[in-house]
Amino acid sequence: MRANHPPETELALYSGNDLSAWRSWGIRRHLAACSECRNEVKAHRDGLAAIHDAAVSETPGHGNWQRLSLEMTGNIRVGLAAGECIAGFEKTIRPMKPRLLWHTALVFAAVSLVSIAALSINLSKDERNGLFANLGKIRWERMFRPLRPPSFAQDAVVLEAGPAEIEVKSNGRALSLTHPHSDGGTVSVNMQDSAGVRYVDADSGQVTTNRVYYAQ
Amino acid sequence: MRSKAGVALLAGSLLGGLLQAGVLPKIDFPKDSPVSFIGADYGESNESARGGAMLLDLHAALSLRNSSQRRIRGITLIVTAQDVTPGGKGSVTVTSLDVGPAESFPVRIDLRLLRPVQGGGNAPLLVGLDGVLFDDLGFYGPDKLNSKRALTLCEFEARRDRRYFKQLLAEGGPEKLQREVLDSIARERDRPNVDVQMVRSGRATNFEPEKQVQFAFLNLPDAPIEPLDGMAKIAGNEARAPRLDVKNRSDRAVRYLEIGWILRDGQGREFLAGAVPAQLNLAPGQKSPILNDTALRFPPRDGQPLAIEGMTGFVSNVEFADGSVWIPNRADLAIPRLQKIVGPSAEEQRLLQIYRKRGLTALIGELQNRDR
Repeated sequence: MRANHPPETELALYSGNDLSAWRSWGIRRHLAACSECRNEVKAHRDGLAAIHDAAVSETPGHGNWQRLSLEMTGNIRVGLAAGECIAGFEKTIRPMKPRLLWHTALVFAAVSLVSIAALSINLSKDERNGLFANLGKIRWERMFRPLRPPSFAQDAVVLEAGPAEIEVKSNGRALSLTHPHSDGGTVSVNMQDSAGVRYVDADSGQVTTNRVYYAQ
Repeated sequence: MRSKAGVALLAGSLLGGLLQAGVLPKIDFPKDSPVSFIGADYGESNESARGGAMLLDLHAALSLRNSSQRRIRGITLIVTAQDVTPGGKGSVTVTSLDVGPAESFPVRIDLRLLRPVQGGGNAPLLVGLDGVLFDDLGFYGPDKLNSKRALTLCEFEARRDRRYFKQLLAEGGPEKLQREVLDSIARERDRPNVDVQMVRSGRATNFEPEKQVQFAFLNLPDAPIEPLDGMAKIAGNEARAPRLDVKNRSDRAVRYLEIGWILRDGQGREFLAGAVPAQLNLAPGQKSPILNDTALRFPPRDGQPLAIEGMTGFVSNVEFADGSVWIPNRADLAIPRLQKIVGPSAEEQRLLQIYRKRGLTALIGELQNRDR
């Protein structure tokens, strides 16, 4: 046990940026005046770097952290979207009553402030950076708004065009125009109202264009 | 009514019990129509149950006659099944025709109609006439589907391409014509063709982050419209809500235009997504925005999800207030990027088919004999 030196566990946590902001400040002050502890910290960091390199080289795909991060962000979005769906559902079965009074709102605000302050003091630098980075990726503008229904939903009128056939469909009903007597067609879309396919009839040599439209 | 009588007769004589008379389409042309219905062959048509739905598989070869005194260049038939798809309808257009007075010609309609069994009754399928274009560019019909413009554009393209092929023949003989035909066939084979889903207003998915992407433009020197700026919203394999700013640089007022929309995927492959149309009243020198709220979605290509990365626009046709039209000339279409993406005109497709089926001599005969 070393007198007047921080415990070795704290030096180890400091080396990996895993110490809270308050304790890190204390350690930094001590290191400025203590070469022995500085060497200790350096040794820890060298060891961490070696372990990291070994882990990356042994991870399939050499540790695609970017992809992992994107997947986690995607999961957060799915969670938020699901939450919005449930919120909308609850609203329909439980009529809202204006029960939130001003003092309740103030209590909430105060609790939120205390929580944020406590988090920022006790979280390590990396954890804090990670939290802010993820908060930054949340699409705040879409929160507390009803989820826009997918426009290719069952009841939407959808036009589909492919080289083999074109189709207008809605509610499980469909009208398709095909061209079995040709080798394929050229698809064209008019974004105002229609989609089509043009083909040459193998028997007659006629050029025919089949189109499907939205009803006006 | 003659058409009803024809349908009833054919139902009994040709179908052999495959279809009930009630599911056959009702062919209904106006009384003063320049085209009359002679008869129909419903050869392999049938109707069958698919789970809780009925599937009508209709293969109709209509026989029509030109009852006017002018030559017919194109025709559009409108197909509706009001009770089955109240939100949509179909059309069958035949272009590059050359049908003289009293001559008859076929029009094929191959369609499938899927409807729930519940609700009963037969599929109320209606085939009507939307328009007929004559060789003097005169038009007949209710024009509910803007057939007049579409048929006129096709006719102008047909005249341009016939003139081009005739010019090749005159300048370099059969060899030069054949070279161009073979090049065109090769381009057609290599041209990307994609499936597309289209829906009005909004996105299909909420999980792909959406971004605004700026248009680049292909400048066609003699186009009467100049695209100035534009952007659209892109999310993965979806593109929607294009917004463009255009300027009329001609000395005539413009009432309709289309901007071709080319998309580029993550692998650098380009394909023609569609046309962004605008009906407007654009005086010479005037600028105007074009807005559209439609969304397009593209399924995977070659097993790979399609990720849209960039887009390019070009003026594909313009209709002036006096009814005349502008289309790109052959030099414009020879720009390599356009040549790779934009398909041949209906007339060029027809001429290529003649070459494929009957050879160079037949093609030359067609070019020389058909007076445009």
